[in-house]
Amino acid sequence: MHFYELLVELLLMPILAFVIGLAMVLMMRRIGARIQRRVGPPVLQPIYDIIKLYSKETQISHGLMHEIGIIMAVGGFIAAMTLLPVPGMSGLTDKGGAVTLAYMLMIPSLGMALGVGQCANPNGSIGISRALTAMLAYDIPFILVIFGASYVYGTTNLAEMVAIQQQQDVSSWGIVQMPLLALTALLILPATMGKHPFEIYVAPSEIATGPMVEMSGKFMGGLFVMQCFQLYTAGVIFTTLFLGGGVYWITFLPKIFLVVAIPMSVAYLFPRYRTEDVLRLMWKWPMLLGLIGLAVVMK
Amino acid sequence: MTALDYLLLISAITVVIALLAGNMRVGGWLVTILYALQGAALLMMSGLGYSTLTVVQSSLRFNVLSEQMLWRFDALSWFFALITIGAGLFCSWFASGEWGEKYRDNGGSLRLFHGALALNVFTMLVLLASGDLLTLFIGWELVSWASFLIMALAGGKAFNYAMRYISYAFAGAMAVLGGLLLIYAEVGSFDFQSLKEAAPQMQASTLWLLVVLLTAGFGVKMAILPFHLWQAKAYAETPGPGAAFLGAISSRMGLFAFIVVIVQLIGISRLVEMEIPYTFLDAQDLLAWIAVFTIIIPTYIALRQHDARRLLAWHGVGQTGYMLLGLVIANDLGSAGGLMHVFNYASYQAMLFMAVVAVMHRTGTSDLNKLGGLFTRMPLSYLAMLIGIIGLAGLPPMNGFVSKWLIYRSLIVDGSPLLFIAAVIGTLGTILSVYKLIHNIFLGQLRVEHAAVREAPLSMVIPMMLLAAVVFVTGYFPGLVLDWTSAVQASIGLPVLAHHLGGVDMKGGLDMIWIVSVLLVGFGFGTLVFFLGGRSKRVHQLDNYAGGHFLTAETRYHYSDNFYPGLMHLIGPWYRNSFEWLERGVISAVDILSTAMQGLYRNAHPSYLLLVAVVFALSWVIV
Repeated sequence: MHFYELLVELLLMPILAFVIGLAMVLMMRRIGARIQRRVGPPVLQPIYDIIKLYSKETQISHGLMHEIGIIMAVGGFIAAMTLLPVPGMSGLTDKGGAVTLAYMLMIPSLGMALGVGQCANPNGSIGISRALTAMLAYDIPFILVIFGASYVYGTTNLAEMVAIQQQQDVSSWGIVQMPLLALTALLILPATMGKHPFEIYVAPSEIATGPMVEMSGKFMGGLFVMQCFQLYTAGVIFTTLFLGGGVYWITFLPKIFLVVAIPMSVAYLFPRYRTEDVLRLMWKWPMLLGLIGLAVVMK
Repeated sequence: MTALDYLLLISAITVVIALLAGNMRVGGWLVTILYALQGAALLMMSGLGYSTLTVVQSSLRFNVLSEQMLWRFDALSWFFALITIGAGLFCSWFASGEWGEKYRDNGGSLRLFHGALALNVFTMLVLLASGDLLTLFIGWELVSWASFLIMALAGGKAFNYAMRYISYAFAGAMAVLGGLLLIYAEVGSFDFQSLKEAAPQMQASTLWLLVVLLTAGFGVKMAILPFHLWQAKAYAETPGPGAAFLGAISSRMGLFAFIVVIVQLIGISRLVEMEIPYTFLDAQDLLAWIAVFTIIIPTYIALRQHDARRLLAWHGVGQTGYMLLGLVIANDLGSAGGLMHVFNYASYQAMLFMAVVAVMHRTGTSDLNKLGGLFTRMPLSYLAMLIGIIGLAGLPPMNGFVSKWLIYRSLIVDGSPLLFIAAVIGTLGTILSVYKLIHNIFLGQLRVEHAAVREAPLSMVIPMMLLAAVVFVTGYFPGLVLDWTSAVQASIGLPVLAHHLGGVDMKGGLDMIWIVSVLLVGFGFGTLVFFLGGRSKRVHQLDNYAGGHFLTAETRYHYSDNFYPGLMHLIGPWYRNSFEWLERGVISAVDILSTAMQGLYRNAHPSYLLLVAVVFALSWVIV
């Protein structure tokens, strides 16, 4: 591929991801509203929110690391977007596969953790301690899924995985080849997105006891941008591993929106889990399913 | 004189100079320059690191009872020597400035410290240069005693931990000696080559005994399970930069000996043939699982530590597991990852210890519950620690990621899901524990008594920054180190990893140049997005949400103790100190045995014993 084409791709991929992520945030809110018999926000609400947050008058910074933390959180996701294949663009997928992606996705979390730490608010630190514990909880089944998929497809390159699944019809999709692993991934999806019922570490409804306690204005805005990327990433990873990825946008977009919509619709019905219960839950059912699934695909 | 002669000679001179001039003001700097000279001598042999030279002999050789003893360097020795001398150089540099003066003022003997450090480097070089099994054993013993010397320097508690180490080391050395005698009985020579030729014909039972004895013996130094108890405490109590040196490289000598004897001479393919009866496992799997448990258990012990040095030292034990795992997998990816991890780990572990020592130098404590908020006071030490923890946790863009990636990738190629998951569990535990480390020291609330703390002196900051550069650059261009590991792979007969400057070219490969570049550009865009927003106002850190309370500097508003209660709620009961119990059990058993023996020989009935002995002797003579 031509060098300049690649550069254009690298620029386009995060922008597209952000726009799609905004739409996903809207969808998530609408789903939540419908379940609670509300109307829900208007179409452009996520954009208004971001503009509002970035242009607020009160912007409290607790020091350099607080700012760098937010920059790392957003920047890490921008970089990670170039590793996710989308229709027509494979970006850097041949230069870092699924394992690299899994570790790249920890950089934003680390950035946020460092930024929150600098705020010197114990409530924020408690939130981070919960967030890292939750990461330990869902990353183990997640990495198991990545291993299974890499083993089945014989590569860690996500673009190649898409190509393999596109060779035949639906029967070559990952979800048919390894249904148990797909189910595992679906179960941990809400946790990786930090959504209901695993959102206690974000604690959005009682900000004072979560990592967001000292975040105001554009700091909060940065986290909002991060959330858009988070939803998009979750949708694309699942679609790439199990739903045949995307060759055309027209089929790709419904898939990733569907993937994000399913856990959202179910999640709003459940109460929240405590941190230790998240661990217990994640290490029990998804792990069990995943191990069985792995045993099946590896025979 | 060959380059190796120069190297060993300069190293020996370093020991002498350190002992003579160590207490003088310029002594430390003199020794540091001598380490640099050792580095220069090593660079004279740099062909070894790029496969243009195969071996450099030393002129020192002699015959003992028809066995020739010789010392020489090959690619493996060169690679380890590079790390050893680098660690020695940076640690001695770190110790030469204010740290040394404070150490002397507090009653420590700089002469002994520098002497012990130089002796460690020298003995390690002698071990690395060993050209046959006899010299290997001599080097092994020298290294054991040298590290005992530096561990025991601080006296008191440190001396007890050093004594614990030396009893482990004795047991290990006996196992090694037993293994070597077994080899001599089987092969009839201490020569490397004859063992290599004889290994394929050895009987499985002999080989089992050999592998168990040697792995246990070398494993004691590496602190693999179940011999992991001695290391963390002994290293943590070593004075300042000495801990950085030991943590970075000392226990790698066990790995070196393991590579030489098990990987190079006996061969991993031979281990695969050795099946464990009634299981699906073979000796290779067994070693891989030992490696994996060596990753997990010490890492989660580290998570519970509240002393920064202990925490790091426990991680040191855990990281050994990754190196061993990669080498035991022994395909091109795994062994390159394992070897590269030795280099990477040394670079960031030395830096992390230095950052902690710098904090101790300024605040006088390494207790994680008594620190906090030092970022604003010591930003450069913070930077060093940040880069170090990213490396230790194995996240991009630092070098630790590359070596761990190679090991993960080798496990995927090998098709070992459980080992893979276990390795990742170790990494995740590391992330949790290093965040606690940096948070409790540098983030959060600054204590009143630390309000006037200054940044560490330049003599400490410069080595840290140089190491930080190494960690970042070898993460950006991993090919620099992979060149050396490929030379090592070629020289010890493992499959050579095809690589380029940015990483590995394969299906699902890695190109760090692109990854790191895109990450940096991403941070750039992140900054842009950040500054699109309105101007932010910096506030004092006590200007904080406190649920309606008014905060003052006296209010301790910092979260540090029992950092992960949710996790500990679940896994807390799994910490049972089983290995401590085991160790105590063994100690009691030995104690009882020795008491019984003493009773038998000294107190009870010497005349009866004499009678028995005489009867036996007579019957032997008569029959």
